[in-house]
Amino acid sequence: MNKKFVVVVLLALVFVLSVSMIFAQSSSIQLPKYNGPAVTLTFWSWVPGISNSIAKFEQAYPKIKINYVNVGANFTEYNKLLTALSAGSGAPDVAQIEYQVLPTFISYGGLVDLSKYGANNYKPLFVPWTWGQVSRGNAVYAIPQDTGPLALAYNKAIFEKYGLTVPKTWEEFLNDAKKLYKESKGQVYMTNFNAKGASNVNWLVGLFWAAGGHLWTYNGNTWTQTINSPINKRVINYWGKMVDNGYASTYEPFTSDWYNNLSNGKIASMISAAWLPLLLANNLSKQYAGQWRIVPLPYFAGEKPTSGNWGGSTDAVTIQSKHPEAAMIFALWLNANPLSTTLDNENGGLFPAAISGLKDPSMHNTSTKTDQFFGGQDVNQAFFNASNIVNVNFTWAPWANYFFNSLANYMNDAINGKMAWDQALDQLQTSTLNYAKNQGFNVK
Amino acid sequence: MKKIKTTKFLPFIFLSPFLILFGLFYIAPLIYGFYLSLFHQYGLRPPVFIGFKNYLQVFNDTNFWMSILNMTKFFLIQGSIMIGLALIFALYIDNQKNRFRGFFRMVYYIPFAIPTAISGILWGFMYSKSMSPFQSIFGIFGLHPDFLASNALFWSIINIVTWEWTGYNMIIIYSGLQSIPRELYEAAHIDGAKRFDIIRYVKIPLIIPSLILSIVFTVIGTFQIFNEPYVLESMTFISPHFTPNLYIYTTAFSYGNFNFAAAMAIVLALVTFAVSMIFMRFAGFKEE
Repeated sequence: MNKKFVVVVLLALVFVLSVSMIFAQSSSIQLPKYNGPAVTLTFWSWVPGISNSIAKFEQAYPKIKINYVNVGANFTEYNKLLTALSAGSGAPDVAQIEYQVLPTFISYGGLVDLSKYGANNYKPLFVPWTWGQVSRGNAVYAIPQDTGPLALAYNKAIFEKYGLTVPKTWEEFLNDAKKLYKESKGQVYMTNFNAKGASNVNWLVGLFWAAGGHLWTYNGNTWTQTINSPINKRVINYWGKMVDNGYASTYEPFTSDWYNNLSNGKIASMISAAWLPLLLANNLSKQYAGQWRIVPLPYFAGEKPTSGNWGGSTDAVTIQSKHPEAAMIFALWLNANPLSTTLDNENGGLFPAAISGLKDPSMHNTSTKTDQFFGGQDVNQAFFNASNIVNVNFTWAPWANYFFNSLANYMNDAINGKMAWDQALDQLQTSTLNYAKNQGFNVK
Repeated sequence: MKKIKTTKFLPFIFLSPFLILFGLFYIAPLIYGFYLSLFHQYGLRPPVFIGFKNYLQVFNDTNFWMSILNMTKFFLIQGSIMIGLALIFALYIDNQKNRFRGFFRMVYYIPFAIPTAISGILWGFMYSKSMSPFQSIFGIFGLHPDFLASNALFWSIINIVTWEWTGYNMIIIYSGLQSIPRELYEAAHIDGAKRFDIIRYVKIPLIIPSLILSIVFTVIGTFQIFNEPYVLESMTFISPHFTPNLYIYTTAFSYGNFNFAAAMAIVLALVTFAVSMIFMRFAGFKEE
């Protein structure tokens, strides 16, 4: 044997070993075992297809049975959860809670601090900013599940039909919108302004986020609320122009009208979080299947390209759970075990918060129904790129539930011309500030 | 001696089934609601006694008073239409010469037999742009009305409520008409009165108490509207303060602010009571 050959083989071996050690870092932490008695846990979640992961969990932990109930999405579930917590009974053991309303439930006193069951040992398994969202100092109130970095989904066939260029900036997006309106005689919309309901306006906040705007900051003592900051007003006025000029439709998202108009090419593009492509692939008709693409979210010219977050959830253990340790083990396994996160990505479109989930090679399998709907594009890679440019310092206040309900109301008024778009933000700032102060918060 | 003792308590024994249920499901929640309204509680922290502060806040809450104003507008428009129709229908079925009175009496009354939540859902489907069978009919004329659009919603709900309650009010007025003594018609006839004169000078003046009753019920019912907008929420956007009860519900179950919701409910009850009283006094004056 040639000396050179041996050296090369040894080097290769060292390379392979060290690379696998880096990967093994996060998976060297073992998920906890369950040694207690047989229990049944109730789980509220609206992730499509999550029963597949639940089945795998029950195989791995035969003593824990899961009673899975889908009580509705977003605020449909949150209203029920809030009421059940206030009533003292009826809340599940584990509930899906998005990042933006997590502070509400923590502040309410409805969630169990999981650090006493050793939750902090599993911190390295998750993307750091998501762990920041679920913890308060050493206390841990939920296990991160997924994130929703923003990008732009567009219908390539429609863009080509009307001669539109793929926009990099918001200015280019507006120009495309004007051209589309003219060429199609107002029949085809550039995009949809999602509204009509507290659950449907968080995408707009994601755009404030992407533009560098904040709603709330907290210095450990007082809250500062900046709903009507100049950055946020700039974004809302931009979208006001889109709606008032007829460039953006205003269908309620996730309804048949919305899906139908996306299916038949009447809406040319859609602001998309990482979990949306699967919903589109599963719910749109075959008419433009294979024609949709994902590109980075537009940014304002002259500024750095950044993205925001729309949604993303955690699984939290409620104080009404009689088996909090088993509940935590379930939430951990569901969101950190690669078997589960891969299934949740395939069936539910979840973009995992768990590092092992993100690194799983199956994330880049372009033969999935979702990637095929997007013409074979590696959709998850597009969202990897988006998540890299998300500014992770975004704080949610405990009265976000009130904020979202009010935002939906004011957006409806603005759409109907009852008030100016930036004026809506001014009103929202005032009414939300009053609400928070009445609830006893120290806010200005 | 024993007989006297039992007769003393006999009325209460007979009334007790009603009194127990009335106490449990009507009086007790009322008292508890008032008790709740005197406190403030955030989340699951212990409640704090704040006296009438919640009530002060209610008086400052624009959304609440906008919803009351909205329902006042609703009452003035819908109430007039409905009671007008109820009167016309009642007079129609009271007309002895009309061969189809029995049939129409049933037809007008049937909507009342349907629970308002179901009516709301039914009409919701008939109004919906994608599921309504009427959209194709309108389409023939080139019209594509959106009955669930924000500016049309007020009128769409007026339509639903009128459909639901006209029959009920018609029966109230009809029973008033039925109790008019026949001799008055004969006397009027002798005096040369024609059918319209009888209606104007005999029937209507004598059913004013029934009309007042209908109007008071309508006032109370209008301020309490909840079912119709609530079931339509799944089909379109309804402002959470479209009606006072919807706002109270949202405050309680979406924001978890049960104490403030209780205070609003009490204020709503007082406002309804005041309006009914004012109307009855006003109508009472007219009789004299």
